[in-house]
Amino acid sequence: MRVLQSVCFRIHVELSCRIRLVGWITRIQMALLNRRLGLPLTHLSSTVIQRHLSITGACQAIQKLTRVRVVDNSALGNTPYHRPPKCIHVYNKTGVGKVGDKILLAIKGEKKKALIVGHKMPGPTMTPRFDSNNVVLIDDNGNPLGTRIKTPIPYSLRQREGEFSKVLAIAHNFV
Amino acid sequence: MLTPELPATPAPEPAPEPSSRGRAEAFKRRTSWRRKPELGLGGGMAGWALLGRLGGRLWAAAPGSPLRAAAAGALGVRGQLGLIVRHIDSATWWHEHLSEENVEFLRKSAAEECRAQTASKLCPLKDEPWPVNEWKPDSIRVGVIAVKLGMMPIWTKSGKKHAVTLLKVQDCHVLRYISKEESGKKTSQLIVGGKNASPFSKSEAAMEIFKEAGVPRKQKISVFNVTDDALVKPGTPLYAAHFRPGQFVDVTARTIGKGFQGVMKRWGFKGQPASHGQTKTHRRPGAISTNKAAKVYRGKKMPGKMGNIYRTSLGLKVWRINTKHDIIYVNGSVPGHTNCLVKVRDSKLPTCKDHNKNPPFPTFFADGDEQLPEDLYDEEVFQFKDPSVTYA
Amino acid sequence: MAAACERLFRRSALVRVAWRGRCFSSSGYRTDSDGKPAKFQPPPKPVIVDKQKLQEERRFLSPEFIPPRGRKDPFKYYMERKDMIQRRKVFNIPEFYVGSILAVTTADPYANNKTNRFVGICIQRGGKGLGATFVLRNVIEGQGVEIRYELYNPRIQSIEVLKLEKRLDDNLMYLRDALPEYSTFDMNMKPVSRLAHEEIPVNKLQVRMKPKPWSKRWERPQFNIKGIKFELPEEKMKEAQKWSKPWLEFDMLREYDTSKIEEKIWKEVSEELKK
Repeated sequence: MRVLQSVCFRIHVELSCRIRLVGWITRIQMALLNRRLGLPLTHLSSTVIQRHLSITGACQAIQKLTRVRVVDNSALGNTPYHRPPKCIHVYNKTGVGKVGDKILLAIKGEKKKALIVGHKMPGPTMTPRFDSNNVVLIDDNGNPLGTRIKTPIPYSLRQREGEFSKVLAIAHNFV
Repeated sequence: MLTPELPATPAPEPAPEPSSRGRAEAFKRRTSWRRKPELGLGGGMAGWALLGRLGGRLWAAAPGSPLRAAAAGALGVRGQLGLIVRHIDSATWWHEHLSEENVEFLRKSAAEECRAQTASKLCPLKDEPWPVNEWKPDSIRVGVIAVKLGMMPIWTKSGKKHAVTLLKVQDCHVLRYISKEESGKKTSQLIVGGKNASPFSKSEAAMEIFKEAGVPRKQKISVFNVTDDALVKPGTPLYAAHFRPGQFVDVTARTIGKGFQGVMKRWGFKGQPASHGQTKTHRRPGAISTNKAAKVYRGKKMPGKMGNIYRTSLGLKVWRINTKHDIIYVNGSVPGHTNCLVKVRDSKLPTCKDHNKNPPFPTFFADGDEQLPEDLYDEEVFQFKDPSVTYA
Repeated sequence: MAAACERLFRRSALVRVAWRGRCFSSSGYRTDSDGKPAKFQPPPKPVIVDKQKLQEERRFLSPEFIPPRGRKDPFKYYMERKDMIQRRKVFNIPEFYVGSILAVTTADPYANNKTNRFVGICIQRGGKGLGATFVLRNVIEGQGVEIRYELYNPRIQSIEVLKLEKRLDDNLMYLRDALPEYSTFDMNMKPVSRLAHEEIPVNKLQVRMKPKPWSKRWERPQFNIKGIKFELPEEKMKEAQKWSKPWLEFDMLREYDTSKIEEKIWKEVSEELKK
């Protein structure tokens, strides 16, 4: 796995260099690469495209129009698309989403609900802070669309065990 | 005995000054020099040269070098000029009339007196105490005056963190009792003073109250309204153990002064947009009244002096008491800057009354029967001598 | 022979044997000036000097003990220190630095009798007194995770030092913008053993960064970072020097010499901890 990661990474670096030179042709190259190598480059490609489209850093907390990263293995969240998933509404009173809040996503031209499972903004002490804004797609009843979450999610979600039991059940890693 | 224009604490003398007698002479000489300016140097230079020479004269006494000529050059003059810069305290009545030994003696004797006075008051129950009553739900106790030390975190046994403020009860004494008839108020009053201060900077009249109580001069004096059953004899020291962990207190102090501020900072107005064609109007209040009213209502929120007023934070929980160093650990923040003197009393909030039952009444006496450990904790507080918190 | 003997002893591990007077081997056959064999003298007893103990003099005072400069009463810090010492008596807080790899076990408030363990590199130490904190960083499944722990929080069950070392900088926040391999550590890492008396090794690793933009412009002189291998063009590095403030080093008011306070507090703390 480590080897694979490093390979991916080299490609990533190479690609980002090329982006500077060639511009938007990269996406085609990527598709080619994808086919040729047969590697799971989906996540990678999405990050590269994001970087290509907008240079601004990610928002610290999740609010309207924040670009987010879908961390479950649902098909909707993992197929590449020219527009990154964005938050279009936060279901709480402050309008600033934290771990455990539900948001509405615009993803691949659809509206889908999602649960925040990590953000860049530091929360209270002794709770984790992540390098990206992570969400898990859920349907209207709170059932997750995917079947697995590989990235770590915070233990603090457990305090609302009853609400998120199905999301917690598919999680593999906790921090 | 002493006049009010004496300084509170004479500042340390500049190093190269001669001894006290020498200084008095030098002072005389300085004045005489000023009276007869004899040098013929022109313009501003003359003044500088004069000052420089004067410094030279002062300095020259020890090394015995001859007086330098005024035309010795700007460099030399500047070098000497530094010497005659003196502290403002060295020209007061105190320094003119008292030698250094006398100053030291006065200070030492004052400190001794202060210590003796504090020590004599340590056992107020021995010398004919005032009647001690039982606590009743409607009785109001006296409060204390404390120094705000700063803040620190505290953890409860459930692992939750709280911020607490440390208040140190320092040399707090009851100074005077004012009866209902005297004050003309609804309740009788007790005057309490906190933190000893220098006795030299107060007038005789202002020192009267401390002499009556037989305690050293206090930096801060404050009045507490008390019920008649909670009276304490003047001269009684008050301690942090006057309060108990788990009870709630109100803390009053002067807030930090912010100076003259605009409406946005002072009252939280919104101001105007930064751009979109705004000219010279970004942080202004806007309209202050209507056409129809045709006047400005009283109490309109306007720019002005902000802070430096008395504010009270109500209902702060006492988490912990240190009886050895007399420290109260109070939940959250209190008004005022660090090291300021605050007034602490039992909370008047009706919701806190249930927690304030059966306090030490009328106050905690150090020479009473009650023996207290060094630290008193609220039952929820995690004590650091316990092992780490686990959830079972 | 004596020299050889001594060399051997010196080489042999921790316990050093020092000889009082002359060496054992020669003294046995010593003759007087007369030529008569001298009275037998028992060889001097070897004095065993524990090298470990000698070297333990290396002082370490945790940085949160040193009060910040300000107008607060030093007595307030003394009161805090008393609590900190009390906590250290029942709970082992080891010596560690920014750049060390730690494992922290905390009690989980949301699950009964469960503990959570997190392994990571310490990238920052902050706060003074009881509120002191440290930040651990790790990359798990390609996801960068940081946790800020409070040093004196009673929820912490244990702090383990897996690898004790320093880095070139006092603050490794730039690891957020570095390639993830530099902050990836195995969660089941075994502690690296080291001898107690050794100097703390400094890891002179220079990390490679992700392409810009970074969270901060680390090349600027204000950060004074030595642990990054900058792969920026020459003119960019030169441009960054525009923000240097060479006059600040002459500002005497910015100096805060803590050596005297440190000495005093170290004495106080070590005496208290021995009790």
